[in-house]
Amino acid sequence: MKLRKAASFAIALTVVTGLLAGCSKGNSANNAVKEDKGNGGTQTEQASKDVKLTFFNTSAEVNTVFEELFKKYHELNPQVTIELIPTPIGGAQLEKFQSLLASGNPATMVNLDAGTILQYKDDFLDLEPEKAKYESLTNPGAVEGALLDGQFLGIPWTAQGYGLLYNKRAVEEGIGGTFDPASVKTRDDLEAVFKKIEAAGKAPVMVHGADWSLGAHYLGLTYSLQSQNVDDNRKFVEELKEGKVNLTENPQFTGLMDTFDLLKQYNARKSDPLVSDYNRDSADFAKGNAAFYFMGDWSWAVIGSLEGRDAEFGILPLPISNNPEDFGNTQVAYSEPKLFAIDNSKSSPEQQEAAKAFIEWMVTSEEGQKAIITDMGLSMPYKDLKAESTNIMSNAVSEYVKQGKIINIGVINYLPQDYWAKTGASMQKYLVGNIDRQGLAQEVQDYWKSYAGK
Amino acid sequence: MNKKLSLRNAGTFLVFGGPSILAFTAVVIIPFIVGLYLTFTNWDVRTGDSSLIGFANYVEVFRDKVFLNQLWFTLKYVFFTVVIANLFAFFIALALSRGGKGEQWLRTGFFTPNLVGGIVLGYLWQTLFSQVLPYLGNKYGWSLFQTSWLTDTGTAFWALIIATAWQLVGYLMIIYIAGFTSVPGDVLEAASIDGAGRASVIRKIILPLTVPAIVICIFISLSRSFLTYDINLALTKGGPFNSTELATYHIVQKAFLSNQYGVGQAEAVVLFAVVAVIALTQSYLLKKLEVES
Repeated sequence: MKLRKAASFAIALTVVTGLLAGCSKGNSANNAVKEDKGNGGTQTEQASKDVKLTFFNTSAEVNTVFEELFKKYHELNPQVTIELIPTPIGGAQLEKFQSLLASGNPATMVNLDAGTILQYKDDFLDLEPEKAKYESLTNPGAVEGALLDGQFLGIPWTAQGYGLLYNKRAVEEGIGGTFDPASVKTRDDLEAVFKKIEAAGKAPVMVHGADWSLGAHYLGLTYSLQSQNVDDNRKFVEELKEGKVNLTENPQFTGLMDTFDLLKQYNARKSDPLVSDYNRDSADFAKGNAAFYFMGDWSWAVIGSLEGRDAEFGILPLPISNNPEDFGNTQVAYSEPKLFAIDNSKSSPEQQEAAKAFIEWMVTSEEGQKAIITDMGLSMPYKDLKAESTNIMSNAVSEYVKQGKIINIGVINYLPQDYWAKTGASMQKYLVGNIDRQGLAQEVQDYWKSYAGK
Repeated sequence: MNKKLSLRNAGTFLVFGGPSILAFTAVVIIPFIVGLYLTFTNWDVRTGDSSLIGFANYVEVFRDKVFLNQLWFTLKYVFFTVVIANLFAFFIALALSRGGKGEQWLRTGFFTPNLVGGIVLGYLWQTLFSQVLPYLGNKYGWSLFQTSWLTDTGTAFWALIIATAWQLVGYLMIIYIAGFTSVPGDVLEAASIDGAGRASVIRKIILPLTVPAIVICIFISLSRSFLTYDINLALTKGGPFNSTELATYHIVQKAFLSNQYGVGQAEAVVLFAVVAVIALTQSYLLKKLEVES
């Protein structure tokens, strides 16, 4: 009997250990399995020149478009096989990237946020020799905007803008007349429009409650609005880390939050603001159930192909004060959020060359540009485009780019990777009234102070 | 002679137990030891740096108020999940071991959620909580469901428990059914001849005789709910505003999002200790209640 007890005790102990081993990060066993797989894959590649590339994609909403492109490229170049490593929309992307890297099995090419590339810059190939070529291929300033700490580590391929999207029909039905976007220059102008729309029995604005939207896009403007110069904005963040900034006395922060209060008040999701179903929010806006939407031109990927949507959309800068001259009131946020980079930690020179050739093909060939512009609905910062964009919103953003009315949000490349999740959570609390303005400022400041000296 | 016998015993053991021991060492013991080692370093994927820094990571763990909060939250979650899942499993098993019609079908039905992966299950319940129930709630005026359960700190907690318990119940039910069938028929018959009612049969005979099954069930539900990650990720993603982050979720965030691998790993070790202590204590205490029929 005693023996039985001891035995069951031992079994119990091993079960716990076993279950917990999942939490420990010793990758030795995992590694062996993965490497084995890799070899199995290369066994079929008998011809010596065959190259197998992997592509890690964080633009999850266009996974299938990339896969089609890989197939097409393989038809044109049978010796190159490209495999997609997909990630889910908005979930666990960095975790997956890091675990691939930590297990010594990184992807040959990545489509990553510029900030992530910067953090892992030692693992990526320096593209300095390619720089002149891309400077001649892209719009002026595009390559410069993609430099990370002065280094050319990633090739820009898409440009995005965000602000207050509007549904023309919904706004015009709400205000009972034609809508001139230039008439909204201040917060009061915006409030007047909201009031009319609400009086007409429509929901004025959609505020998407996800942490990335609230933390990175909305609150993140605080850092970009400090100055037009990215380096000055970086200094501001450093001061935040040192605890030298009092956000409640910062006009950009208070202006932004005053506008946020307005959005909150007229929010179509007011009764349950955190449901934050991206597809549903986008669809409701596209069908005119909300006149405005704080979002970017990337939402076209959802809206563009939607049945029963409205036809005309546009974008407004988010007004943050009542002085039309203030920086931000006439500009939309603009950046090259994703870059293509090539692994330099485990990939062979052949793979790197093949990757370079593929990326160039993807951004310059007609097939590639059609896929990116037409199928993904993104705008490209390249000259001589061989495809015309059907993305009404990115076309609207382009108008602002042409006039130079943009907020350069490059400072976000230098922020820690968890800023949007952590400060986004604080914004969510503010959105549901869990904390007040003072509490929000305090939480955001505390977050930055935890990065003091890092 | 004796020596020869023990040699042969050892050989037999190696033939049958050897492969498992090898596999267990390779995928559990070694990673565990490596993981333990990592907690004493400042390992960072980005720089590849990993020098020894002693107990600094553990000091950091106890300074991480969020983690301690999350650990407390996890304890509450585990308590309710274990109680609810076991109560339901026990009574469902009881109802489904009386030899009634269609029992097999019902057993299969209750067991099915266990076959669904945590991520799929999480998304399934997410749709229910954030779309289906609010829709019904608004249509029929049920105030309880008019807003999504996942956007309120309190209800999201219960949503998490309901989803986990739903998954666990079928598995535990099977174990309870096995436990009940091992209760000797003559004992039950004797009890009914003595005029014992259903309630007292359960309390005085079935319950004491199924203690081994209870111990196993509580143990399994404890360890599984302590280590819930997939449902947490798919159902609430730790939200609203990180209020439903279970300890495991927090650890992954800490390591992979905030890039603090050493601290995250140290937190995993602390969680391990907590689970081990609780699980072993309960099985030790409950084992004492075992009786022979």
